[in-house]
Parts: sequence; structure tokens; C-alpha cells
Amino acid sequence: MIPVRRISLPLILVLIGALALAAGCTDTGSVDDYPAWNLTLAGDREQVLTHPEIRALPAAEGYGYSVSTVGIKTGPNRYRGVLLADLIDMAGGAGADDLIYVSAEDGYLWVFDMDQVNGEGFFTFDENLREVTSPPLRVILAYEQDKEPLAYENGGPLRLVVITESPDVITEGSPWVKWVDRVEVHRK
Amino acid sequence: MNRSPVLAVLILAVLAASAGCADAGPERTILMVIPAGSLLVPLEDIEAAFESQHPDIDVRVEGHGSIQAIRQVTDLGREVDVVLVADASLIPDMMYLPMGAGEGNYTDWYIPFAENEVVIAYTGRSAGAGEITAENWYRILSRPDVRVGFSNPMLDACGYRAIMVTALAEEYYGEPGLFEAIIGGSFKPPIAAVWTDGATTIALPELMRPAAEKVAIRDGSIYLLSLLDAGGIDYAFEYRSVAEEHGLRWIDLPPAINLGSPEHADDYRKVRVNLGFQRFRSIGSERIGQPIVYAMTIPANAPHPAEARIFVDFILDAFREGRAGWPDPVRQDPGTATVYHATD
Repeated sequence: MIPVRRISLPLILVLIGALALAAGCTDTGSVDDYPAWNLTLAGDREQVLTHPEIRALPAAEGYGYSVSTVGIKTGPNRYRGVLLADLIDMAGGAGADDLIYVSAEDGYLWVFDMDQVNGEGFFTFDENLREVTSPPLRVILAYEQDKEPLAYENGGPLRLVVITESPDVITEGSPWVKWVDRVEVHRK
Repeated sequence: MNRSPVLAVLILAVLAASAGCADAGPERTILMVIPAGSLLVPLEDIEAAFESQHPDIDVRVEGHGSIQAIRQVTDLGREVDVVLVADASLIPDMMYLPMGAGEGNYTDWYIPFAENEVVIAYTGRSAGAGEITAENWYRILSRPDVRVGFSNPMLDACGYRAIMVTALAEEYYGEPGLFEAIIGGSFKPPIAAVWTDGATTIALPELMRPAAEKVAIRDGSIYLLSLLDAGGIDYAFEYRSVAEEHGLRWIDLPPAINLGSPEHADDYRKVRVNLGFQRFRSIGSERIGQPIVYAMTIPANAPHPAEARIFVDFILDAFREGRAGWPDPVRQDPGTATVYHATD
């Protein structure tokens, strides 16, 4: 038998701490937790951003809550990422009539106009999926969900997310492109 | 005091037993089933009936649009036991393909099991509800103050089918400009139905965002039903089963245009919709009119093929019996199910 009563409390705490460190409990969202991932921006000029370069850009945060075409709700979660509008500026900007193609490694593509890039023109719903007047929205490429690196099964390392300041606003999920690896400006 | 540890162990044992820890019973086989959205209500009923007869199988149903349902297997690599879609042609188009270099196809067969048709759904509060009939529906929907809704053709087969039905109606009723009056004219620039070489082609823009309130487009059927209920639109293009299931009024359309009649397959083929962009690398952006036929298959890499086969047979039996609010069973000898193989 293990003589439990003879092990001192400080020793137990040290052991627990060592176990926690080994399990990575004290270091959430460190640089090493993000996988290698590149994002191509294609506009007047084309450039490739690494994941650390994306995370070094000014960040935006908010709540994201989506619903699928058949009514399956996902969220709300807290997301952090970079504004799609900032990335388009880095690609040389876009005119009011230009379209933005956001595509992913799995072959999925969704097209946005500049109103949508700036958070307008989306339909929003309450918890009962009744349409509600849209509050201010922002569109980001998210790399964090609830202060953790965005997991692959949730669309990480980079996913397009429509965020709000309120956790109870639901948006249509079709624009929430998972595994984004390319943002392209199409001139009109 | 000495009794307390014994007492604690006894209490824990009782709690564990009452929580089912002492005998979790045999593990149930989880059967992953991915149907098209318009099959969710039938599948809910079928799941309950099936599990009552097969308590060792836990059916998990996860609805998606038909294309997304297939992509769960092909593009996203998920292990799925049964896939059911609202457009039978999608299975050979997207799944009669090798799973990898030197490997077999995702599937080599499918079973058609149900049919549907497009109707015009409405409520008693819809503008023109008191006068609309199967003969004058297109004139009511053409009125500038009557609001019409359909689902996004990029996302939902019922969406591009709504566009096909309207284009077919223009030809069927001999009313030039009908498509533009009901749908096309609400976009900037207008969407036109162009008749060339014996076929009508509708080229959609990248963004299906109407410029006028006359037309409303939403991601899926449930949002149109919600809009109808709230008075946000007057009429919606819906599957007949969906209108019936939700207790709506609806107008039946002529078989020559409702996409519900195999006898009119040649007429339907004369209309094609070109989507504004290729949303998926795995399927092109052209949709050709054809009868609405539901089909299912068991992917070659299904984790539980034996149980999946039992469930497929159960679905076939359930649809042969049919029920109000479900798509109709396919019109064939009810004792036989036609299986289409890759070599057919």
C-alpha cells in the first residue's frame, strides 16, 4: 500500500503542478499550439502570409453564432481574428463593386461583396430563428475560439466568422468558410 | 468514526449502481446517417421506429443540403453509414469516383426511393390568397406588390428548381417576360431566361442578392417558412411534402413544369441553370432540369455496412407505406427496389 498519510501536502501540490505542466494546462494558445498555415492574398498584388504574420496583425474579437441551412445552430463562441477588410487592403484594396472570393483547401468557395466584407447585407436571427434587425457585424478570419487556437475540426487554423458584440445574434452559416487559404479580389 | 469510511464506500456503491455504472449494458452500434434537409422529418419518424425494433443500434441523423451531405464523405473524409439526397444524379456525379489512388469508388450504386414536386406555398394572409388558383398562379406572382421567396440556388436544390419551374412556366403558358416579372427583374442587372438551341439557360450572378423587395432569398427552406409565417413574403417555392408537413396552403403546378413527373423528363431537360460560381471543387456549376428523385447509398467506407443495409431496407419499407408530409414513394413495383449501379 502507498503510505498516503506520510506524503506531505507540499509534495502533493508539486506533483500536481508537474502533471499539469506535462499536460500543457498552464499554456493555452501559445505559439507552438498553432499549426503551420499560409494564407494567399490575391489582388493588385499577391502575397502569402504565414500564421504568425496573420496573428501579428491588429485583431478583432466578438461573438460568433451560426445556423446551418437545415437549422442546426453552432455557438455562441468568442472568436478572435483579423478583419477581412484589413486583409483586402493588404492585397491592394477593392472597389465598391468588386467581389471577394474566399476559398479553402477542401475546395469550398464563397463570394462576398464589399457591403458584406464591411458587415452589411447579412440576415440575422434570434434563438428561435426568427429574423431580427441586424446589429453591427464584422467579418474576420478567426484563428482563436474561446481563447484557444481554432481547432481543425472547427474550421481552423483560419475560418471566416461573422462576429457581433452580443452572444445571442445568429447569422447564416454558409459564408463561414472553414480552412481558408485564399482571399482573392475580383475586379468588376 | 471508524464506520464512516465503510459507510462512504457503501453510499458510493449505491450511487454508482443507480447511475448505471455497475451494468452499462451492451454497447450500441452508432449508425451515422446524413440526409438532405427535406428528409429530416421523415427520418425523425423512421429513426424512432427503427430503434424501437433494433435497440442495439443508435441512429444518429445529421441533416445537410444534398451536396454537402455527399461532401461529408468525399471531401471531408467522414465515416458515414448512409447518405440520402434530394437529387439522385448527385450520387453518380460525386461518388462514382475513387476514394484515393488505386482505391475503389466511394460507392457504385444508389437506390431511388421517393419523389417530390415543386409547389407554390402560401398562407391565408398572403396577398392574392383569395383569388389564386392553379390556373392563374403565375399572374398573381407576377404582380409587382406580391413578394416571392425561394432558397438560395447556390445552397439548396429547391432553389435552382424554383428558377427552373419559373422558366418552364414562361414556355408552358406562352407568356414572354414571365420569368423576369416573377424573379429576374428584381436583380440588377436583371437575370434573363435565354432561349437558344431548343433549351432555356439562366445564368445566375455570383451574389444572389435581389435589388427589390419583391424577391426574398434565404439559405434554406426553414427560413422561407418562417418568413411566410411572419408575412415577410406572400408565396414560396417549396417541395410539396414540405408545404404539407408545415400545414401550409399550396398550389399544385402542371406536371409539365413541376419537376415531379418522370413522363416529362424530356421537357425538364430543356432548362438549365448556371450557378454564379463553382462553390465546390468536386461538382460543376451547371444544373439541368430533371424529375425530383430522392436516392440513398451506403458509402464503400461505411463503418457499419451490415447495419446500414438493414436501415436502408427499413427506409424503403417506410416510404413504400408513405405518410402525409413525406415525399411520395417512387412510382414502381412496390415489391422491388431498383438499384442503379455504376455500370448501368
